[in-house]
Amino acid sequence: MKAAAPIALLLAACAYDPAPGITMSKAASRNLECNRISQAEAHQRYPGRVPDLPPRGSYSNIDALVCSTKISQPGDRPARDDVVLTSMRESVGEITRLANALVPRTAVWHVDTFYPEQLVAQKLSVAARTDLAERGHKVSDRVPVLAPGDIAVLARLEPKKAYPLACARYFKEKVLTDPDAFLGMMIMDARETDLHAGICVRGEWKWLK
Amino acid sequence: MKVWALLFLIPSFALAAELDPKESQREQLEKLRTEVAGQIQLQAYDLLDELVFGWIQQAPFALQTNVVLADVSVPVGFSSGLQALIENHFNTLLIKNPQTHLTLTHCPECTSLVVHSGSKGTIVARGFDQPEALATAGKISGSKHALFLDFEVEGSSLVLRARITSLEADLPIVYARTLSTLNTSAAMLRDPEHLKSAEDARKEYLDALEGRGIFLVPIRLGVRVFTPRNQSIVITPFVWLSVGIEASLTQARAWTASFSAGFSWAPELHVGWEAQARIARLISGSTVSLTRPDLYAFFGGAVVNVYGREALAFRRNIPTIEELTIIFRDRASEPSFTYGTIQLGAELRVKNRVSVILFIESAPGINDAEGVGKFLDLGILSIHTIGVEASFCF
Repeated sequence: MKAAAPIALLLAACAYDPAPGITMSKAASRNLECNRISQAEAHQRYPGRVPDLPPRGSYSNIDALVCSTKISQPGDRPARDDVVLTSMRESVGEITRLANALVPRTAVWHVDTFYPEQLVAQKLSVAARTDLAERGHKVSDRVPVLAPGDIAVLARLEPKKAYPLACARYFKEKVLTDPDAFLGMMIMDARETDLHAGICVRGEWKWLK
Repeated sequence: MKVWALLFLIPSFALAAELDPKESQREQLEKLRTEVAGQIQLQAYDLLDELVFGWIQQAPFALQTNVVLADVSVPVGFSSGLQALIENHFNTLLIKNPQTHLTLTHCPECTSLVVHSGSKGTIVARGFDQPEALATAGKISGSKHALFLDFEVEGSSLVLRARITSLEADLPIVYARTLSTLNTSAAMLRDPEHLKSAEDARKEYLDALEGRGIFLVPIRLGVRVFTPRNQSIVITPFVWLSVGIEASLTQARAWTASFSAGFSWAPELHVGWEAQARIARLISGSTVSLTRPDLYAFFGGAVVNVYGREALAFRRNIPTIEELTIIFRDRASEPSFTYGTIQLGAELRVKNRVSVILFIESAPGINDAEGVGKFLDLGILSIHTIGVEASFCF
C-alpha cells in the first residue's frame, strides 16, 4: 500500500513530462517546442494550472517548462523547407545582425534569396527586409535583376565564384549604385538546411556565413 | 439469424469498397488540416488585431493615406481559403478603426501581372513591383502605398511580418513590423470595434473565466417602501439585509434563478424575516457583456413575516385601545403578521459583481390592510410596495 503513493506520483509526473517515455512517443516528443519560464510568469499565463508564488517567498527557485506542439506537423511540408522556415526568425536575425555591423547606416538595402523553392525564398527575403527595416535601415522592396546573358554565365559557375561575380556585375551594369547594399541569402547544396549569406557593397562581395 | 447478419453487413462492405484506404486517409488528413487552419485563422486574427491596435496607438501616417492591400501571404502549405479569411478580417478592422489613417483602395492593376517594355527589355511582373509602369499607365494616382502582410508558421508560433512600401521607383519600405504569437497562448478574439491591447484582452478573458462559475452568493441591502392608506397610520420603510444563492440556468447566464433569506429590524417597531425566490432573464443581449452592464428583468415571489408593533398596520382591522394597552405592557404578546408577495423588477448588473435592483410588489394578503395603501391599483392586481436594492455578488 505504501508503495502505491510513489508510483501514483511517478505516473502523474509522467503524464506531463515532455520527454519520450511511458506516455510520450519519440515522434510526439520531437514535435514539441519547449520554453522554460518563471513560476510568476507561468501563473500569469496559466492561472488555473500553475499556483501563484507564496506571499512570503520561497526558499527554492521553481520554474515551469511550457511545451507546445508545432503548428506544422511532420510531413505537412517538405522536410528541408520545414527546417528552414521553423528557424527562419533566428537564422535571418543572425544574418541581418552581422550585415548591420558591416554596412554604413546610409546604405539602401536590397535583399534577394537563392533557394530552390520560390515560395520559401520569398518568405526568407521578406523576413530579412522586415528585420532590416525594423533595425532602422533604409530598405527597398526592389530586387536587382541582371541581364539574361549574365545569368546564363553565372549559372555555370560554382557558387563561391558566382556570387562575387554577380555582385560586380550589379554595380558595373548600374543595377545597383553607390549607397546601395545587397544582401544575398542562399543554400549551397540542395541537401543543406543552413542558410549562407553575403553582402555586396560597391561591387565587392563579402561572405557573412 | 445469419441472413439478418448478412443484410446488416452488406451496406458496410459496400461502403468499405467505396472508400479506398488512401482516400480515407486523405479525408482524415484534410479534416485535421481544416482543424489546424481554424486555430491558425484565430491566431492570425489575433496578430492582425495587435497590428491594427498598434496603428491606433501610433498611426503609420500623420494624414489619411490611401493604401493598396498588395499581398496577403499565408504560411507555406496552407490554402488560399485562409488568405481570404485573413483579408476579410483585416478589411473589417481598417473600416471599423479609422484612427489608423489608412484607407484601403482598389487597384487591380497593382496586384495583376503587368508587361512593361523599355530600353532594358520587356519585364513581366506584378504591378506593385514596377511602379514606373503603373505610373506611366496612370494607375497609381490615388494610391501611393502598397501594404504587404506575410504570415508564416515558425515552430509553434505564427509570425506576421507587415510592411508598407511607397510606390516610387525605388520601392522604399516606409513601415515594417514583425509580430509573433506567444508560445501556446490562445487567440484573444478581440472585438474589432473596440480593440484592446493583448494584455487588457487577456485580463478580460481571465475575468470572464473567473466569473463563469455556475453559482454566485448575492448579498443584498434594500429598502421596501409602503404608501399609507390613510394618514393616521404610516409604516416606516423596511430596511432589509438578505443573503442567498444564485444559479445560472444557461451557460451564457441568460437565465438565472436565485433564492435568498432576509432580515429586517427597526428598534421598538418590528423584526422581519423573509424568504424570496426569483427567476431572471437577461434582456440587454444574448450573453453577459464583458464591457457593458447587463440588464435583467425578473419575476419572483416572497414570504414576509413581520413581528412587532408595526405588524398591527398589516391587519384588516384598526387595533383597539385594549389591544394596544396589552401590547405596550407585555412584549411577549406583540403581534406577528405573515403575507406573501409577487415581485416584478429589473436588475442592472456590472460583471456579475455589483448590481442595482428596482422592483414592485403586489401582496394580495394585505389588500385590505388598514395601514397599507396602493401605489397603483389595476383592479385584479395592485402594487403595494416599491423596493430598491444594492447587491454584491461573491
